[in-house]
Amino acid sequence: MPKRGAPPLQADLLQGTLDLLILQTLVLGAAHGHTIAYVIEHRSDAVLQVEHGSLYPALHRLEDRGWIASFWGTSENNRKARYYRLTRSGRQQLAQQTSRWEQLVGAINRVLRPAKE
Amino acid sequence: MGWMRYFRRARWDEERELEIQAYLEIETDENIARGMTPEEARYAARRKLGNPTQIREEIYRMNSLTFIESLWQDVRCGLRMLRKNAGFAMVAVLTLALGIGANTAIFSVIHAVLLSPLPYDHPDRITLVRESNPSKGFEQFSVSPPNYMDWKNAAGAFEQMASMSRGQFSYTGGAEPERLVGARVAASFFSVLGAQPELGRTFLPEDDVVGKAGVVVLSHGLWTQHFGSDPQVIGKSLTLDGESYRVIGVMRNGFQFPRGVQLWLPSEFDERSLSPRARGAHYLTVIARLKPGASIDQAQAEMVAISKRLEQLYPNTNTGWTSKVVALSEATVGNIRPTLLVLFGAVGFLLLIACANVANLLLARATARQREIAIRFSLGASRLRIARQLLTESILLSGIACALGLLLAEWAMRALRTLPPSTLPRAESIGLDLPVLGFAAGVAVLTALLFGFAPALQITRGAPSETLKEGGRTASAGRHGVRSALVVLETTLALVLLVGSGLLFKSFVRLQTVDPGFESKNILTANISLPKSKYSTDAQTIQFFGQVLERMQAVPDVKEAAVASGNPMDGSNLSFVFATKQLQALAPADQPSAGYYVVSPNYFHTLGIPLLVGRYFTQGDFAGSPRVAIISQAVAQRFFHDRSPIGQTIKIGVGAGDPPWREIVGVVGDVKDDGLGEAATMTVYEPCTQQVWSSMSLFLRSDSDPSHLASVLRSQVMSVDKDQPVAEIATGEQMMSQAVAQPQLRTLLLSLFAGLALVLASLGIYGVMSNMVAQRTHEIGVRMALGAGQRSVLRLVLSNGMRLTLLGIALGTAGAFALTRLMKSFLFHVTPTDPATFLEVALFLFAVALLASYIPARRATRVDPVVALRYE
Repeated sequence: MPKRGAPPLQADLLQGTLDLLILQTLVLGAAHGHTIAYVIEHRSDAVLQVEHGSLYPALHRLEDRGWIASFWGTSENNRKARYYRLTRSGRQQLAQQTSRWEQLVGAINRVLRPAKE
Repeated sequence: MGWMRYFRRARWDEERELEIQAYLEIETDENIARGMTPEEARYAARRKLGNPTQIREEIYRMNSLTFIESLWQDVRCGLRMLRKNAGFAMVAVLTLALGIGANTAIFSVIHAVLLSPLPYDHPDRITLVRESNPSKGFEQFSVSPPNYMDWKNAAGAFEQMASMSRGQFSYTGGAEPERLVGARVAASFFSVLGAQPELGRTFLPEDDVVGKAGVVVLSHGLWTQHFGSDPQVIGKSLTLDGESYRVIGVMRNGFQFPRGVQLWLPSEFDERSLSPRARGAHYLTVIARLKPGASIDQAQAEMVAISKRLEQLYPNTNTGWTSKVVALSEATVGNIRPTLLVLFGAVGFLLLIACANVANLLLARATARQREIAIRFSLGASRLRIARQLLTESILLSGIACALGLLLAEWAMRALRTLPPSTLPRAESIGLDLPVLGFAAGVAVLTALLFGFAPALQITRGAPSETLKEGGRTASAGRHGVRSALVVLETTLALVLLVGSGLLFKSFVRLQTVDPGFESKNILTANISLPKSKYSTDAQTIQFFGQVLERMQAVPDVKEAAVASGNPMDGSNLSFVFATKQLQALAPADQPSAGYYVVSPNYFHTLGIPLLVGRYFTQGDFAGSPRVAIISQAVAQRFFHDRSPIGQTIKIGVGAGDPPWREIVGVVGDVKDDGLGEAATMTVYEPCTQQVWSSMSLFLRSDSDPSHLASVLRSQVMSVDKDQPVAEIATGEQMMSQAVAQPQLRTLLLSLFAGLALVLASLGIYGVMSNMVAQRTHEIGVRMALGAGQRSVLRLVLSNGMRLTLLGIALGTAGAFALTRLMKSFLFHVTPTDPATFLEVALFLFAVALLASYIPARRATRVDPVVALRYE
């Protein structure tokens, strides 16, 4: 039986970060999985590649926690697709996680580039 | 959402599948827009997504309660395994069931007898206060009424103190006269025990006045049997010993103290029983409730000080007498504790042997399963997962065994519950209650871990690739080491148990061959107690027993008939201080004491007690004739060793005033009155015509089984006095078996456990040797191809088995040497390290082990080299 738990590769790094990115993507409005991945890739200038293998489990996890909700809709080219939207608690979560992320980035930056006197 | 998602996961999975499908379609559309052909587009989309099944699986797992899920999987898999290997499963389950069952049964006894508190209010504060005279060899003795009164007034460590003495009462009012067992108790008796009545009230101090109209408290049992549970019973009257008593209360169901008692009466000490001389008449049992916070040690110290004061005040009666405070629980079950602990140890050993056996079986099977396990490893199972799977199988095994063991235990408990209190006190409360069930479950889990751990560890160690390469055919050396160690362990434990049971068995046989000093075969005994109210004069009593004896002697089947004041060997006979002319110079407290019997002339003849010198009592020894006595050989040897006792005088004391001097007319053989294992008791006999006793045992000797004489006796007694009950009817065999009941019980049980241990250990040796032969078939084939004869193959296998056995025997001998001293108090004419027993047991075990390895060894000699070599 394969090991369960951590998804492979950079998903380890993104475990928390991917959730944050998904939530941020959905601030603009509801989107389906394909769009979410596309948006993340493009807005990061293709630096962040979203593993689809971890995208769907992440969506599932977020929905399970009640931060996003899903519904079936029709895509741009008239295909049936599952759309996700941010819930109220997802919005709070996004705010919290964003500020925590900024603290973390600030802290890391201070370590990497000590203030010059 | 939580765990509820577990139930929705199928629907979720469907949704995910659709969603992923939608993704693929969108991506494909885009790829086509980028200019790919539809086929390329679909392919690229799939590649980008990765393995959709894996994604679904991952989400599915997120929705599972993984632990329970896979546990259930393990259980199902385990059950499948066991069903596939039904033979193995059966042997393992039976072995473990024996171990668990035996442990549960013995624990249920320990729980009921030793661990659960007595059924009284705050039982830990209830004590028994006894008199004690170590210099005379009386560690614990009954209390005399005047001493009790002084204790009661002086002792400060106790909240309350109460006396009690058992008595028997003829009850006339039913269809037949019946004898009831009662107790005369102080008014505070019930409050010492914290017992409340079910109806009415218990005694008040004003009930306890001599001469006042009698009152009685009934037990629940008596109330049910004789009063049809009449709720209006209070105030009704009851005729006991011809006198009327008014019922004032009924105790609750289950309250029985002292044991077997049916009614309680006030103690009513008269002037005589409180007189200074009565300080020497020890017959009371005293119970007392400690004050909250007071310890037994404090009470003990205080009581010793009080006794010392009494000793100085009354040197004639109290010299050498001190007192002893013991917890009631200790007094009730103290003497059975060592037996139970030894038995508990024995079943513990038995369980270990069972575990070793099953571990051996599992290890043998592990070889066969190694391929399966290796494949599962290769497919990515974690070590933990596989170990858990194996342990689950073990727990399944022990769970099934536990259920079966409980059945065995219940069956054993049913037998144990029927034991009389003298053999096993509190036996009636043995049962499969919650703590016992808990214990059984605990033992089962522990057992599973014990026998499952080694195989699980072994099987999950080592690289799977190696196993697959080996083809799972050749066992590694390491595993064999473990199995050999297990066999040595089993042999060791079995030897210890066998030595223990061998010693007990030997003791028991020796105990049974002890001559009790009388002939118990074809004897029927019964007890008749004449009420004082009806038989107030000696002449009436003498006449009654004379008539009964006369009538019984006329019955054709009755060869001999006699009466005596006690039953030999029943453990509760009277003993009194006695004096000879030489001894009377001694202070009263230093005078020796002897067992005391009042007997009819034919007593010795009836019981086959031989006359050594002089004469038996005759009809010529009647009330008015010169007073005579017969002494036992032990008295003659100790006090008349230098001259003939015939014609010497002796006095032994009961009755008001100084007992009279009596002329010794005969010396008879000794009777082992204090028990078969004890030294002969010094005994003095007096004729029942000269010293009248109102409670007598009757003895009838017949030519064959005397049981049928019971009804004849009853009707003959009723024809003399229609109100007179006959009680305690027993045969001589029953009398004797009671005397050896406890040694018999422990010998039987320990032998049973040792026998099981032997069977299991030899199965273990057999299993390991068979397995070894099977695994070394190739090697044996090579040896035989190279010219080894059958004898040398036989020797090869046997020497292997015998090496393990000898090691086990050596270790077991050392273990037994260390442990058998715990049984010292159970042994009779055998030392705990009796060399003969050790040697016999070792030889016996060796022979059994030899047989167990001979069978596989024979098989080895029949190996066909050609087949064996081709097999590899």
